[in-house]
Amino acid sequence: MLKTLIDAFALISTWEVIISIFAASVYGLVIGSLPGLSATMATALLVPVTFYLSPIAAIATIVAASSMAIFSGDIPGALLRIPGTPASAAYADEAYAMTRKGQAELALGAGVWFSAVGGIAGVLSLMILAPPLAEIALSFSTFEYFWLALLGLMCATLVARSSPVKAIAGMFIGLLVACIGIENPGGIPRFTFGLTDLFGGIEPIPALVGVFAVAQVMRAMLAPEPPPLPRRKFGSILAGQWRLTKLYHWQMTRGNIVGIIIGVLPGAGADMAAWVSYAMSKRFSKEPEKFGTGHVEGLVEAGASNNASIASGWVPSLLFGIPGDTIAAIAIGVLYMKGLNPGPTLFTEKASSMYAIYLMFIIANIMMIPLGIAMIRVAAYILLAPRAAIMPVIMLCCAVGSFAIGNNMFGVVTVAAFGVIGYVMETNGYPVAAMVLGIVMGTMVEQSFVTSLIKSDGSILPFFERPVAAILAAMAIGALLWPVMVWVWRKVKRPQAAAATSR
Amino acid sequence: MRLPDSVTGSFLVVLGVAAAYGGYILPPVPGQPVGPNVFPLVIGCGLALCGLAIAFGIGHSFEEEEELVPFEDGQAAAPPPQGKLYGLRALLPPALLLFYVFAADRLGFIITAAIIVYITSTALGAKWKLALPLAALSPFAIHLIFGKLLRVPLPAGLLPTPW
Repeated sequence: MLKTLIDAFALISTWEVIISIFAASVYGLVIGSLPGLSATMATALLVPVTFYLSPIAAIATIVAASSMAIFSGDIPGALLRIPGTPASAAYADEAYAMTRKGQAELALGAGVWFSAVGGIAGVLSLMILAPPLAEIALSFSTFEYFWLALLGLMCATLVARSSPVKAIAGMFIGLLVACIGIENPGGIPRFTFGLTDLFGGIEPIPALVGVFAVAQVMRAMLAPEPPPLPRRKFGSILAGQWRLTKLYHWQMTRGNIVGIIIGVLPGAGADMAAWVSYAMSKRFSKEPEKFGTGHVEGLVEAGASNNASIASGWVPSLLFGIPGDTIAAIAIGVLYMKGLNPGPTLFTEKASSMYAIYLMFIIANIMMIPLGIAMIRVAAYILLAPRAAIMPVIMLCCAVGSFAIGNNMFGVVTVAAFGVIGYVMETNGYPVAAMVLGIVMGTMVEQSFVTSLIKSDGSILPFFERPVAAILAAMAIGALLWPVMVWVWRKVKRPQAAAATSR
Repeated sequence: MRLPDSVTGSFLVVLGVAAAYGGYILPPVPGQPVGPNVFPLVIGCGLALCGLAIAFGIGHSFEEEEELVPFEDGQAAAPPPQGKLYGLRALLPPALLLFYVFAADRLGFIITAAIIVYITSTALGAKWKLALPLAALSPFAIHLIFGKLLRVPLPAGLLPTPW
């Protein structure tokens, strides 16, 4: 244990890792603070760069950039009422109301302080939850993996803020994309239409860059430019945060726990955590009437929640290769690329690398406090950069980055195609996160499904015979039926409500 | 680009049936009950069912929540001009990426990138005073990071970089 810890320290105390963490932090802070550029996009654009780094440095950049970007999205939310990342959307109104009351320092300080606390709580959950779960996961057979993967996909469709039918359709589209190529049980070219470029299948990373970055540039083409940020002098940013911590320690803890749970659920990430926590804070508050008028309580809880979900999203990713959110989906791609294939054995065979990941999360969250304060102070200058100067550079990064992943031009075509797919899906209310999960998990779902069927000689019964498999199956089927039950319940209730309010 | 649910739903039905059929005609692995054809078959059927449900408006009642995102009302202050061709501007980024695929090998990275930057920047409303220097400088910066530091083999084409 101590030796692994020392090994882990040795792994992260190289110049390459230190410079990577620092550079990625600054990058994450800047991208997160620019409205319209999300944390997922920041991480996706980093992947080609991580390709050329050592495994630990590569993961360090992902960890640092994603944590920083989630906090940094609070800055334009508080100052302009435009969330920098979707994860800050839940409480942008509240933070902006505080700024108008002259409490911008308190709002932003709460953002940075409770983000850091939430992030560290998330790491603790990762450290505590992952090893015992790995013990259990070692005894999983393909039946359990199949149901687990299915449960993950179903969770992603349940938590989508859209029609569950559309979310399931999005998931199927993703799984269909994963069918392309010759990596299937028969080794036969499937849905390749005779194109050799498709034989290797669709790489998840260019698809992700397309869905999150190109689609965003496409949306920017039609949306008006956000207003410039008024310059202002800030007082002390951390003043009063300790008082808030003591006053709202229960809200903070609840935010952390909710964030951790939502992070662990596949497909649900920081934005969902912030919405749920903000709603919960309002529901259980002693003074709910103050919400929406510039009350810090919701900010504390939601800020603690969205950062906690970032670290806990790594739990299912590292254990099963099932991404906890879209950022973790990208991280899984990087883990595979770097030979740290997700799975329970990762915790026994590569224990020092795991400890290094924990340490990097802790370091990134501690660094968030000074770097975040510096960022708040210079934000007015960074937000002066016009969109017309940033988006073209992002386009170039998309083109070069997707080319760099396989050194072939087909990656660029994939990015362009998935940009269009992501844009069309998003505008029509199909959640893209569900599709992304389908793409990332498709091969795993198919392999566990087909291997299980071969083992059982085509019979369905063994899928339910092992106790853990039966429990997971019940949960997955329950998740599938849940929207149907809600729908039926609403149908039954609506005539009554209509009768009551008949006019 | 906002299409009615009946259109997207019908498209999914067609896609699902095509996937199921495409899976069905795949050759099975001899001596094995399940091969590469099972999974596309299952997915295709599921997708077609979802498409049907969407086309008939099932689950539409869950979508109301989407309107609450406060992101929207910050933008609603200035409604974008609505022209016939305005919606097509969204297709510019993917079109430029395809342009990169076809032109980069012939023109070289620097020239292609400069064209992409200039067009994107102008389309987003930049004056030439911003777009021109940006188009002149940013390709070199990107080339320095990816081509020089990360050793991505970017095509030199007509205009090789000084390093």
